[in-house]
Amino acid sequence: MRYDHHTLPNGLTIVGEYNESAQSVAVGFFTRTGARDETPEISGVSHFLEHMMFKGGERYSAEEVDRVFAGMGANYNAFTSNETTVYYGAVLPEFQERLIELLADMLRPSLRQSDFDTEKKVILEEIAMYKDRPSYAVYDLARMTYHHGHPLGNSVLGSTESISALERDRMLEYFERRYAPNNMVVALTGKYDWQAAIAQIEQVCGTWQPMDTPRALTPPQPIPQERMQPEPQRDRVYLAAVAPAPAAQDDSRYAADVLAWIIGGGRGSRLYWALVYPGIAQSADISYYEQDGAGAFYIFASCAPERTTEVIDLVRSTLQTVQAEGITEEELTRARRKIASGLVLNSETPMGRLTSVGYDWLYRQEIEPLSDTVDRFLALTAADVDAVLQQRPFDTLTLVGIGPLAEAS
Amino acid sequence: MPQSIHTFRLDNGLSVVVETMPHVRSVAWTLLVQAGAATDPEGQGGAAQLLNGMIFRGAGERDARALSNALDELGVQRGGGVGTEYTTFSGSLLAEDFDDALAIYADVVRRPQLPAGELDAVRGLTLQSIQSLNDNPGQRLFNEFSKIYFPGPFGRSSLGEPDELQRIDHASLQADHATRYLPAGGVLSVAGGIEPERVLETARRLFGDWQGTPPALPQPQLRAEPLYQHIQQETAQTQIAIAYSSLPLGDPHYYHERLGLGVLSGSMASRLFTEVRIKRGLVYTVYASPRLHKGLALILGYAGTQPERAQETVDVMLAELARISEGVTEEELSRARTGLLSAMVMQGESSSARAGAMASDMFLIGRPRTLDDIRAAVESITLDGLNDYLTSHQPQNFTVITLGPAPVSV
Repeated sequence: MRYDHHTLPNGLTIVGEYNESAQSVAVGFFTRTGARDETPEISGVSHFLEHMMFKGGERYSAEEVDRVFAGMGANYNAFTSNETTVYYGAVLPEFQERLIELLADMLRPSLRQSDFDTEKKVILEEIAMYKDRPSYAVYDLARMTYHHGHPLGNSVLGSTESISALERDRMLEYFERRYAPNNMVVALTGKYDWQAAIAQIEQVCGTWQPMDTPRALTPPQPIPQERMQPEPQRDRVYLAAVAPAPAAQDDSRYAADVLAWIIGGGRGSRLYWALVYPGIAQSADISYYEQDGAGAFYIFASCAPERTTEVIDLVRSTLQTVQAEGITEEELTRARRKIASGLVLNSETPMGRLTSVGYDWLYRQEIEPLSDTVDRFLALTAADVDAVLQQRPFDTLTLVGIGPLAEAS
Repeated sequence: MPQSIHTFRLDNGLSVVVETMPHVRSVAWTLLVQAGAATDPEGQGGAAQLLNGMIFRGAGERDARALSNALDELGVQRGGGVGTEYTTFSGSLLAEDFDDALAIYADVVRRPQLPAGELDAVRGLTLQSIQSLNDNPGQRLFNEFSKIYFPGPFGRSSLGEPDELQRIDHASLQADHATRYLPAGGVLSVAGGIEPERVLETARRLFGDWQGTPPALPQPQLRAEPLYQHIQQETAQTQIAIAYSSLPLGDPHYYHERLGLGVLSGSMASRLFTEVRIKRGLVYTVYASPRLHKGLALILGYAGTQPERAQETVDVMLAELARISEGVTEEELSRARTGLLSAMVMQGESSSARAGAMASDMFLIGRPRTLDDIRAAVESITLDGLNDYLTSHQPQNFTVITLGPAPVSV
């Protein structure tokens, strides 16, 4: 592996992790913008705009964008989170130049009114799709409840109302505020041509104008709370809980990841043995989300309605026990090993590494070589994990549920 | 660099296929056993699912916890599950620990403890999975689709049926394990930083003395008559499935079908995505994909849209499926070809993807396809050749299933 890094005069940074033995090149344009950068009137605009980028800029029409991607046999897409929007593609090395050319053109979109009107219908369908999936809806409810007014609680999709009311010019205004080169990173992984890439990106994106792209990083103010949203038509109960965790910039993020893995990282975790193995819940897991300035633990469980109280009690007691008593050396060894193996396996394809490399720069202005990440996990001690627990994250638990339940708060 | 793939067959009928991938530190495997929903004992739909849950609750000398801990200590990333024709056990890890991990799986598959006290918990989890289908209407649609398209054992849900699950007792599961978890017709597929001789030696040591042949698969029929059925559920989106018969892997015209499908649905530039989503904004999701079984195949199209637009969506999809028989353009063929080959090259970077693909090939046609095989087959098809084929093989006898608040007219 070789690591590359270059910043253009307008602030656009290009980073790379070169892998000589790869068969492909992956390129991603990472933008530091998402739902948390929206106001309520334009809720969902980041994600809607992400769709609109595929409608083309000066050079391509909506149909042509997909034809050019497909002509390269590209594996490509985009995603929007609460704080990032990422556009990416993976192609055979011979198509590197065309891929960069296309992505760069997309990211200066025309936002044609007719495309906007048609794509609005697609977004409304996407919102309808998730209405049918309470396992997703409970995540939105948990995020919103935990943050109670803080922008990190904003919905990525927006609502039927906010999207229906959104106008093209408001989207353009948002685009112009957020898609500045100093608010973006281009990441390359795999078998790329570095000199060609920076020369091309300088030529195509060098004229993009930098500007001030502030983001409010006031910390969320979570409070312990419980909120049940009755949906009598459901057969099952979907629970989610959120607790504070280290931020993306905090060195204790590795320990937070290990802790989450031990508590609920799948088969073999504490929540699995307590809830899933005996068949009390169908699923129960926890993940650590690193976020800009304020991380969080997200816990999910689903069960039959009559077992809701039992499941909530077991989730709470599992969290409280680990907080009071810490973890065992055996758990730590297994977790470190499993995470390290997962990192190495995932790194074997350029697509598998792209997000890590792009996020490293977006969040921390560094590139951490994969071997360093592995070493940092392998070097973690029980004391490192205890330091995360000493913040007593699970005392501040927001717990929400959707299902045939009685309302509570 | 040509691929390095070796295939072997143990005396007991278990196939072993190995792809050595240079520069790769991992090894991934798929162990395929011919115990799927289609051969669940009569009246015991879901038996393969229960067995798959039970065998991880203790095997060899290890109880459930020791088993799970041993796999985690080796860093095994676990996968697999129960399908119509078989159950798979897959995993990946760093190459040096492969033998130890496979030895644990040999215990799981061959020497499970099947503790009677665990059956209710495993059954309960399966029943919960069935219950949760209502909260994922797309999944429920596919589950119901198979039952409607293939009446009889082949269309069974891999999750089973609640009343039949209740009837499966511990003794019948033990008997089922002895009858179906057998090597003949099974596959061990391994890909990554490992030499074929080492895999063969390990496979012989762990599986060489395993003997027996699982029951034969039922012979299903592709539907020869059009069919429409509606499933009532108060959902936000109507779920739409459209299926028609296709050609199985191994058929001389398989790649003609595959390229035709690539024009219809291979990418976001394909006809379904362009006509249904980009031009009309009718859906978020629309696609058609092949379902390959041994000796037969079908193409299954899917879309989800709000009820007031379901009729238009079905109409546009059916029109596009029919229009393929008017032929495709040179540009469309070129994109479909590039898409197929590029996906294969990228699959070649992932040991897990290769292990899975080779296991499927071995099951379906008895040999793994190489990238060169596929390239040669795809590049030999000319525009005229493809269009001759498409015009004389119009998709027909559509099976249409909708799930939602109201039916459509078909």
